Amino acid sequence: MKRKDTVKLISADEMEFVIDKDAAMVSQTIRNMLTSPGGFAETELGEVTFPEISAVILEKICQYFYWALQYSRGKETEFHIEPELTLELMMAANYLHT
Amino acid sequence: MGGVCSRKRDQQVVEDGMRRGVSGRYGKSGSSKWLLTSFSRPMVVHQPGLAICPSLMELCIDKICEDINQYSSFTMLPKDISQQIFNKLVLSHLLTDVFLQKFRDCALEDVWLGEYPGVQDSWMDVISSQGTSLLSVDLSGSDVTDIGLGLLKECSSLQASTFNHCENISEIGLKHISGLTNLTSLSFKKSAAITAEGMCAFSSLINLEKLDLERCTGIHGGFVHIKGLSKLESLNIRCCKCITDLDLKAISGLNNLKELQMSNSNITDFGLSYLRGLHKLVMLNLEGCNVTAGCLDSISALVALAFLNLGRCGLTDDGCDKFSGLESLKVLNLAFNNITDACLVHLKGLTNLESLNLDSCKIGDEGLANLTGLSLLKSLELSDTEVGSSGLRHLSGLTHLETLNLSFTLVTDSGLKKLSGLTALKSLNLDARQITDAGLSALTSLTGLVHLDLFGARISDTGTNYLRCFKNLQSLEICGGGLTDAGVKNIKDLPSLTLLNLSQNCNLTNKSLELISGMFCLIFSSSRLVVVFSVFQLSCFYERCALVMDFAFCVANAGLNALVSLNVSNSNITNDGLPYLKPLKNLRSLSLESCKVTAAEIKKLQSSALPNLVSFRPE
Repeated sequence: MKRKDTVKLISADEMEFVIDKDAAMVSQTIRNMLTSPGGFAETELGEVTFPEISAVILEKICQYFYWALQYSRGKETEFHIEPELTLELMMAANYLHT
Repeated sequence: MGGVCSRKRDQQVVEDGMRRGVSGRYGKSGSSKWLLTSFSRPMVVHQPGLAICPSLMELCIDKICEDINQYSSFTMLPKDISQQIFNKLVLSHLLTDVFLQKFRDCALEDVWLGEYPGVQDSWMDVISSQGTSLLSVDLSGSDVTDIGLGLLKECSSLQASTFNHCENISEIGLKHISGLTNLTSLSFKKSAAITAEGMCAFSSLINLEKLDLERCTGIHGGFVHIKGLSKLESLNIRCCKCITDLDLKAISGLNNLKELQMSNSNITDFGLSYLRGLHKLVMLNLEGCNVTAGCLDSISALVALAFLNLGRCGLTDDGCDKFSGLESLKVLNLAFNNITDACLVHLKGLTNLESLNLDSCKIGDEGLANLTGLSLLKSLELSDTEVGSSGLRHLSGLTHLETLNLSFTLVTDSGLKKLSGLTALKSLNLDARQITDAGLSALTSLTGLVHLDLFGARISDTGTNYLRCFKNLQSLEICGGGLTDAGVKNIKDLPSLTLLNLSQNCNLTNKSLELISGMFCLIFSSSRLVVVFSVFQLSCFYERCALVMDFAFCVANAGLNALVSLNVSNSNITNDGLPYLKPLKNLRSLSLESCKVTAAEIKKLQSSALPNLVSFRPE
């Protein structure tokens, strides 16, 4: 996979998640960061740091991105959310416009 | 069968803003007859082939609602998120007094609990804990009492409050509202609590822009208390029988009024003379009032007036010459009056008119000659008039017409070619027995038609060939009895069809269902609307459902044949035909009354194949 087709999402605890750009763009916030003109660091490097999102939550969010891609292609499965993650995940979702 | 055949009833027209009537794109023919509709029409746009993915936010909110017992409080969440959770619980009817406690001090902005079951004083404590964050509250139909209402005093930022038919609120409770001076909108429909004295509580609401006291029975004499509400723009006192001319005197100083609705009250021409100074008034609804054309003197003074409803006022031609002065009018409703062609002469100069309702007036062909200059007309109601074919020539130049109702007129096939140039037409009602295939053949140029009502027309299988020209048709009714399965073959190819009524065609068999099932159906009908409308509006809605039988809404999408609702009542359909309907996965409304179909079999079909079917007959 070519490097430009992926992005690196970095959690508050500095865990790095490399995922397809297509998947990351499910988030309106990330899409804006990656596509806005004007040479933002995120656009240049293909890296986004989330100082307020923990690795556990960021991992779940990445799972959601891929799930959403499949869903929109017709694979309508259920997305499981662990009860203990719900609140934190929801706040991240709010931030990410996802 | 009577109910199935006849949709023509003496129906009370109730309106919620006249402007809507003109733009009701999805108005069913039966109800669009009533120019002024009583409810807005929510639309659901479905994108076929593209599953709409729930957002992570929605999934989380669903999850929280599912595990609601595990949370003790939502105060730690940002208020917009707790608001979403709250709304979801209300929408899914999961909110109870116990769960409500979790929203204490959540800084919610909107608490919309109108018609929500179980709402009472014990809920008010948590509601008032939202404090100054609370901007709008709806407690319509609740058991909340004066004590509960008193708790809202803390919520001094409230801008919109709705307490329609709260039977346990009395005059004493109203006093608590008087401190909510940020209120811009207040609604107390159908409230016995509002008395003339009680209205004293409104006098301090200086920011009020909108006051709704519809169906309040005790407000006569109370308007002196709202004299000083100089920002008031909209006042609704429809169906307040107690209102008399004297009340209008008190209203006369509300110089900012733009909208005044007082249909079905006891006011007379004299009372209206008090309103002459309302120079900003745009909309005046006097439907069903005891006024005569004499009131036009006063109305002429309302220079900004664009919407005027004088339906069911018992107007005669006497004094109708005053209509000529109302040149700024855009919408005029004169339905169900005793006016004749002699009155129409005076409408000649109203060249700004976009909508004219002459339903059931005593007008005929000659009168229509006066409409030729009303070139902006988009909507014309001529139902139940003596208009015949020769009058239609006067309409041929009205090229902006989008809606034309000629049901129950004397118009015959030979006249319809006069309409062939009205290519802007979207909705055409030709529900008249004398219309036949020949008439339909003259209309093939009207390719923009979205709604075509041929309910009682005698259309045969041959006539259905002409329907092919109407590729944009979303609703179609042909119930004259002349169709067989062969005719349905032509109908099944209409790509946008969403609502189909073929009842009363006794010869239709299961074969028709087989043909129809080629159409995928998407329906949005009554049950979904329950959430949207207040009880009062809902009663109107059901009234109309009865009227139209197969009432439903939908939106067609390019590329998908989207049938909305299916009615093949009084035909030869049997239980054996029902399996053909299986592909209609989105079917929500199905009427097979007076067929050899049993409710039990429909229920079977519903549970096995039609999960979205919410309304069916027989039931």
